[in-house]
Amino acid sequence: MAVPADPTGAAAVVFGAGATGLRIVRMLDDSPSVRSVELRDTDPDRLGEVASMLGPKTRTGPGAAVPEGTDVVVVATTTGSQASLARAAVEAGTTVITTTNEIAETRHLLAAGSEARRRGVPLVVGAGYMPGLTCLLARVGASEFDAVDEIHVAKVGTGGPACARQHHRALSSLAIDWRDGRWTRRAGGSGRELCWFPDPVAGRDCYRAALPDALLLVPAFPGVDRVTARMAATRRDRLTAPLPMMRRPHPEGGVGAVRVELRGWRRGERHVLVLGSQAKPAHGAAVVAAATALHLVGREAPAGAAGLASIPDPDRLLRAVAALGLRPSRFEGFALSRDSGGEAGQ
Amino acid sequence: MAAGFITLIRRTVVAVVVGMALAAAIRVRGRGGVPPQTGGWRELRDDELA
Repeated sequence: MAVPADPTGAAAVVFGAGATGLRIVRMLDDSPSVRSVELRDTDPDRLGEVASMLGPKTRTGPGAAVPEGTDVVVVATTTGSQASLARAAVEAGTTVITTTNEIAETRHLLAAGSEARRRGVPLVVGAGYMPGLTCLLARVGASEFDAVDEIHVAKVGTGGPACARQHHRALSSLAIDWRDGRWTRRAGGSGRELCWFPDPVAGRDCYRAALPDALLLVPAFPGVDRVTARMAATRRDRLTAPLPMMRRPHPEGGVGAVRVELRGWRRGERHVLVLGSQAKPAHGAAVVAAATALHLVGREAPAGAAGLASIPDPDRLLRAVAALGLRPSRFEGFALSRDSGGEAGQ
Repeated sequence: MAAGFITLIRRTVVAVVVGMALAAAIRVRGRGGVPPQTGGWRELRDDELA
């Protein structure tokens, strides 16, 4: 179902005034396709702090109710609170974009797909940096292949404090991979692999972690054999992962990056494609979420819950993401990762 | 009797500590792999995004 194309622009509600949510609000406010933005947060002090940073079309408000006439809702709240907000928005018949990066929440959101289909609204799950941009890059990159049989994604860095806490939890929780047509559980912090990210991030040791990417990629690539997700961690991260966080996270992390490695067949030969991006993760997530919201305004999109690997017209969305300053990169050279040993890029 | 019990506890504690130290060492040792020797990243051009 399409989001109603109001000639004066769409009305958007953004939940979450954190590092990512605030950026989303400002990007939507800057868009001529949006007539109004309402920023919601459970912390009135935070809303007061950011009030002076908001654009002319934005107002703040309390509560979780979606006002009548809202065209699109973006949920950028702390992990664990997104599913209930998304369900309420779906019940209000509104297009919903979520930024979750947590396995259980991703499952809850995907489970809300039946209600979204019943109401005829799209529910985008995990429209952030990873998952999000990684799903989109996988979809766009797959057009180079006759068949994709492996997808491996990895990320470096964290956004705001909520993202940092989720990063910490993920490293000590069970990872979920798709291998040979079945789900496998592996220990977080295992499976060290040196992954090469766009400069200035470069090479980082990455490990399995509780990341939801496979849950979003597998349904979008029927027949894929392997889907794995890793994230960069230091030795200190791994040693302290089972413990509570020793200190309060920074307001925002530094430059991060994501990469997507696709392996498959092209014209009868093995082909490997590596795409990536570098940005502050909160900025990257905000660009992807805002571009997705604008992408769906006034557009026919299939009802139900899915990630960005299933988004209609992915090339157009990737161009919109690039136009907002998040330009993807391609690795050209030879990837000598532990288990590939093959050619990457051209 | 009491001395034997204390010895048992002491040896148990030593065994647990040594085990934890070994596990920690195993967890952080090793290298991740070999970095790419050639090539590099380049931003996608507008025509590649089309």
